[in-house]
Amino acid sequence: MTAIIQCQGVERTYTQGAVSVPALRGVDLTIGRGDFATLAGPSGSGKTTLLSVIGGLDRPTAGKILIEGRSIAELDAAGLAELRLHKIGFVFQSYSLIPVLSALENVEFILRLLGLPRAERLARARETLHAVGLTGLEDRRPARLSGGQQQRVAVARALAPRPAIVLADEPTANLDSGNAGELIALMQRLNEASGITFLIATHDARVIAHARRHIEMTDGRITLDERSSPAAA
Amino acid sequence: MIRLLPLLLPLGWRNLWRNPRRTLITLVVVAVGTWSVLIFAALFNALTTGSRDTTLRFLTGHGQLHAAGYLDDPSVSHSMAPPGPALRGALDAPPVAAWTGRVRVPAIIQSEYRTRSVTLAGVVPQNERTLSDLPKEVTEGRYLTGADDPGIVMGRDLAERLKTRIGKRVILMAQAADGHLAESGLTIVGLYAAGKPAEDEFVFTGLDTTQSMLGLGERLSEISFEVHDEGSLADVIAELRRAAPRLDVEPWMELAPLVYTIETFGRYYTAVWLLIMFTLMAIGLVNTQLMAVFGRRREFGLLQALGMRPRQIVLQVVLESALLVGVGVLAGTALALLTLAPFHQGLDLGFLAPGAEIMGESRILHPALGAAESLLYGAIIWLLAVGAALWPALSAATARPAAAMSR
Repeated sequence: MTAIIQCQGVERTYTQGAVSVPALRGVDLTIGRGDFATLAGPSGSGKTTLLSVIGGLDRPTAGKILIEGRSIAELDAAGLAELRLHKIGFVFQSYSLIPVLSALENVEFILRLLGLPRAERLARARETLHAVGLTGLEDRRPARLSGGQQQRVAVARALAPRPAIVLADEPTANLDSGNAGELIALMQRLNEASGITFLIATHDARVIAHARRHIEMTDGRITLDERSSPAAA
Repeated sequence: MIRLLPLLLPLGWRNLWRNPRRTLITLVVVAVGTWSVLIFAALFNALTTGSRDTTLRFLTGHGQLHAAGYLDDPSVSHSMAPPGPALRGALDAPPVAAWTGRVRVPAIIQSEYRTRSVTLAGVVPQNERTLSDLPKEVTEGRYLTGADDPGIVMGRDLAERLKTRIGKRVILMAQAADGHLAESGLTIVGLYAAGKPAEDEFVFTGLDTTQSMLGLGERLSEISFEVHDEGSLADVIAELRRAAPRLDVEPWMELAPLVYTIETFGRYYTAVWLLIMFTLMAIGLVNTQLMAVFGRRREFGLLQALGMRPRQIVLQVVLESALLVGVGVLAGTALALLTLAPFHQGLDLGFLAPGAEIMGESRILHPALGAAESLLYGAIIWLLAVGAALWPALSAATARPAAAMSR
C-alpha cells in the first residue's frame, strides 16, 4: 500500500502568554492509500489537532507532513486551500453546512470552486446525494434537515470532488445509533468501492470496529497502531 | 475570480438576510447618509451657483470691456467709443453668445418726497433680454421697449424708499460729458424684483435716452458679453484684448470678486463637508462589517477548509458589503431625487430671503442634482464601502482555519 499521508516528527504547541501546551509531541505516522483508519484517544489527546495539521487547517510547530509525497510546509495559505479543494475532504462533528444553501447547493459549492461545468456538477452533486441516501431532499436547507441528514450532506460534500483523502472528526458524535450505523456503513462502502482513504477521529466503538487500522493517541503521542479485520459493512 | 461571481453574489445576497435587522439598519443608514450628502450638495450648489448666476445674469455677464480707468472711477469721463470693426468682429465671433453696450454712471434720483443716489444704466432692451434676467424680473408695469424708451425702470425697494410708484415722474441728475449737471424727468414704467442691494442701486432707461441726456453721442461706459462655453472664456478675453488693446477687458471673476470667492469657497466647503460625511460613513461601515465578520469567523474557517482561497474569502466579504451598500446608495439617491422633484421650479426662501439677498442670492433657490454628480457621489460612497470592507475581509481571510473553526 503506497503512503498517501506521512507525518514525520510532527509537533504542535499552543502558546498563550507564558503558558505553552504541547498538543502533538513528535508524531510519526504513515497512512496508506485506500486505508480506513480510526484515530482514538481521550479528550485532549491531540486527535483533532493531528487531523487539522494533516489537512493544512493548522501548521505544525515542528516536523514534516507529506501528502502524496509532497511536503505541505512549502504551501502558502492559497496552496493549502488548493490542496484541500482537490485532495482532501473534511467531515466535521458539527456538520458545518452553509446555512443559506440547500443540500444540493452545499454539495455543488465545492464543485463550483473546482470550476466544473454546470451540467456535470449538478449531475455529480445529485449522484453523490443519492449515494448517501438523500434523494428527494436536495432542495432543503440545513435548518429543515435532521442531524443525520445534515451529516450525510456533509459526507456528500466531502466526497463530491472525489478526493484522495477524507478526514472526519467525530462524524457520528451527534447522531443517534441508527444514523451513526448507516453513516459508518456508507463510509466503509465508499472506501471499498472508490479507494478513498479515510482517517476518522472518533470515540465511537462502532466506527472503530469497522476500521482496518486503529490508532490510539494519548497526550499528543501515538500509543497504539494496529491493523485488524474490520466488521462487515 | 470572475468565474466565481455567479456563485458568490447570490451567496452574499442570501447571507445579508441572515440577520435582517442588522441589514435593514445598515441599509437605512447608508440610504439616509446618501440622501443627506446629495441633498446638501444640491442645496449648496444652488447657493453658490445661485449667487454667481444672479450676479452674472443681472448686469455682469461673463466679462466686460471698459475704457481705461473706468473701474476705478465709473464716471462719464471714462467713456469709450462704440466698437470698431476689429472689436466688433471679435464680439460677433462664435465663442461669444451675445453682447451689448451700456452707459453706466452714478446719478441722483429725486421723487416728490425723497432723493437718493443710484447707478443709472442706459441699455438696449432687445440685447438685455438675451444677456440679463432683469426683463423677466419686472413684477409691475413693463420693461423698456427700445433704446429710445423715455421711461425708467427701478427696483421695488427703491420705489418704496422714494415713496413713488408706476406712472409717477422722477428727476434723474448726473454729470454730463461736458462736465455740467444734466437732468431729465422720466416716467416710471416698471418695477423689478432682484434682491434689495440691486433694487436700491440700479435704475434703467434706454441707451439712446441716456446718451442724449449726458451728451455722450454714441459713446459707451461698458460692453458686456456672454460666452457659450465658460471653458472658452480665457481665450475670448485674450482675443478681445488683442482686438482692443486700449480697453480694459476683464472676466467676471475680476469684476465680481466676492461672488467668485463665495463660489470657490463653496466648492471647497462642499468638498470638505462631503469628505467628513464620507469618512463618518466609512467608519460606520467598517464597524458594521467587522461585527458581521466577527460573528461568522467559524463559517469563514469552514470555507477555507472546503478549499476557498484567502482572496476568494476577501471577495466574498467585499461583495456582501458592495451589495448592501449598493442597495442603500440606490435607495438614498432615489429618495434624494424624489425630495428635490417638488422644487424643480425653485425653493422660495420665504422669511430667510432678506438675509440671502444680502449675500447676493435670489429669494428663489434652484436646488438641482445633475446625473453626473449623483453618480459621482453614489460611486464614492459605494467605493468607500468596498474599501471599508477590506480590513474585515482580510481579517476573515487570514485567520487560520483551525483556530477560526474552534470558536
